[in-house]
Amino acid sequence: MHHANHFYGHAHILAEYCGLDPEQPPRIDGYVQHGWNVVDGLGLGTPYVPGRPIFVYSERTRRRAWSMGRRQATVIGAPFLYLLALRPEAAEAPAREGTIYYPFHGWEQQKVLGDHQRQVDEILETEAGPVTFCLYWNEYRDDQVRTAYEQYGRVVCHGYRGRQWLDTDRHFLDKQLTELRRHKRVASNRLSSAIFHGVAAGCEPAVYGDPMQLDREDAPTAARIRRDWPELHGKHLDPEAARASALAELGEGFVASPAELRAMLGWTEHFSKATARVPA
Amino acid sequence: MIGGEMPSFTEDRPRAGGALLGFLAERLPADARVLIAGPHDDALIDALAARFPVTCLVRSQPEAIALDARGLRVLCGSLAKLTGDDQYDAVVALDGLGRLCSVEGPQLDWAECLRALHHALHPGGTLLLAVENELGLHRLVDLGSATAARTDSDWSPLGEFGSKPGNADRLAAHLTTEGLTVGWLGAAWPVPEAPTLIATAEALRDGPAGVLSALTASAAARAYAGKEVLSDPRRLAAAAVRDGLGLELAAAWLVVAHREPGPAAAPDLPPVLIGDGPVIELRSGDDGPWTRRVLREVPGRDVSGLNGPLPAGRLLEELLLAACLRHDLPIVRRLLTGWASAQPGAAADNVVVDQDTYAILDPSVPPPTDVIRRFAQTLLGGGYAHPWPAATDLPTLTAILHGAAGLPSPDEQVPAVDTLPASRREQEEQIRALRRQLADAESRAQRFERELVKKDKELRKARMQIATFSGSVGFRVAKLGMGVARKARNRLRKGLS
Repeated sequence: MHHANHFYGHAHILAEYCGLDPEQPPRIDGYVQHGWNVVDGLGLGTPYVPGRPIFVYSERTRRRAWSMGRRQATVIGAPFLYLLALRPEAAEAPAREGTIYYPFHGWEQQKVLGDHQRQVDEILETEAGPVTFCLYWNEYRDDQVRTAYEQYGRVVCHGYRGRQWLDTDRHFLDKQLTELRRHKRVASNRLSSAIFHGVAAGCEPAVYGDPMQLDREDAPTAARIRRDWPELHGKHLDPEAARASALAELGEGFVASPAELRAMLGWTEHFSKATARVPA
Repeated sequence: MIGGEMPSFTEDRPRAGGALLGFLAERLPADARVLIAGPHDDALIDALAARFPVTCLVRSQPEAIALDARGLRVLCGSLAKLTGDDQYDAVVALDGLGRLCSVEGPQLDWAECLRALHHALHPGGTLLLAVENELGLHRLVDLGSATAARTDSDWSPLGEFGSKPGNADRLAAHLTTEGLTVGWLGAAWPVPEAPTLIATAEALRDGPAGVLSALTASAAARAYAGKEVLSDPRRLAAAAVRDGLGLELAAAWLVVAHREPGPAAAPDLPPVLIGDGPVIELRSGDDGPWTRRVLREVPGRDVSGLNGPLPAGRLLEELLLAACLRHDLPIVRRLLTGWASAQPGAAADNVVVDQDTYAILDPSVPPPTDVIRRFAQTLLGGGYAHPWPAATDLPTLTAILHGAAGLPSPDEQVPAVDTLPASRREQEEQIRALRRQLADAESRAQRFERELVKKDKELRKARMQIATFSGSVGFRVAKLGMGVARKARNRLRKGLS
């Protein structure tokens, strides 16, 4: 339906979970929330087609979406949880070590403003073990930025999320999961999907440091996030409270069975056979 | 003929009757001389006549003639003409007091009718009386108004403007003031003329509210199957009984009262009676759990499965609806899978859930087909909010529910059977939903058209580029020249004209 469904290989993971070909995910009859956000689950500026479901992570997001006029929000849980169901952690996994840090990234059309050096200093001061920096693809490709981080630790990138169904790195989340499972802690200067995914993958979360500003960013939203999720902000958090809060945001407990998910996404035989859909 | 008879009139609304009213009337003291006051169902009159010496009081002459022809003693005329000379051991007025006076003579109000019946009782005699609740379930869901005169018998349709007591307490108080002792009082559900569930105030207050509410809802479902109503009587009945309004919203109140001095023993009536043919009683066991016992069987209905302990819990359908409304998917899925594994053949409105126990409420109900689809139909038809708002058609929602219940995909061929009450409010909700879907579809169509225009433009451009860059150099130059020449010619033509 919308190219955002293929971001981070979400559609591919859901197809694999449903027992379909992950290389060729069928068209999703709606929109999959492509990242954690504090609005209606859709990315800003997504042209919403009325009457089609938005598949959101959590009940909280669904309630918010409803209050914003989105009547078809349906909770399925984060695609990352489906990935976790597909890739259970090996019993003899090597011991976790250090921290993976996600410096808050901009995207193609919004660059991050802030003091990067001070941020790195604070990270190295806080983290006991080795630090891996995970950069967004546009920063990673920028030799200057990448080499700047490489002085302080390993630098990785999970890939390109994709755009208009092209160049999607469908193993983005797989790569992220593998990296997360190598680390004890996951940290960032902003509460974001990466932190939630980290918690789900068994890391201790931390959110600290200069939150930085996006070019033309809505500052009150960032402040609201700090107010609403205090248990996820700080250098050393109450692990149980943080975990419970983060998993709730991903929609733990709401993961659908493959059969139910197929029916929700419009991946059943009924849809492929139907010529016209007559409402009940 | 006692005077006031109506020679060319027959009652045009259903007479009081049914298994439960019959059962109650038969509990009158043995050998009692009985006056059946007002129109009652033939079966009820026959059952009473088989046990007691019976006299019928009716205002319609044709009906009196018919009763007389069946060998019954009949008084034909208006209650106002009844003198206190002829007294009875029992008066049965299960049709209420609204159809005792004819068009002739004084029009007695409720209290005056009661007094007249009181005077027809021997001292110590028993009165079996029904009082319709003008704010009862049957009124609340009725499409018509009780105060609109529609049929021949509505010469003064009072409805809620009448003078009869408006609740059970006031009814009991009135009877006491009148000099009658109330021995027993029950709430009759779901319709006054032929109730299929009768429960005492104590049972409604202290009994198993979940199961009683489920049984009341089933009784309402059966009484209103396929009928046009304002709102779904099942939900109203269930909510009333569950939330402690079972007595207040009952269709009618039934009382057994005695003229002073009262008999030594009041009739032994169970706290709850159920039945639309067979008669079943519910009683609280000595050590807590309630039991169910079949008191009367009818041929062709196997109700033997009903004997034994009453299952506990709440109706699955209501639990599912509540979980859907709360968007509590984990609970919805747990209920669906529990249902599918424990009672896959029973409909959601015939299963009660207590913790993880799924029991069939009424084992005598034949199992319907495709129970999940029926529940999907309930969700959509009732306009209930649920966790899959984009699934607006029955096959899609059924497929999702099957998935959530861990069942294989549904068979597409099964046609949906509609035996639910047809509620106006739900129809209104469906129209709203359809309007919304239509508006959504409209705006989707517009969006696709815009996309199409955009894609067409891109396609034209791409074709032009392909044409420009394909072929030999000479051919391309010639083609370009032709294009320029054509444009120049067109321009010239425009300029000339």
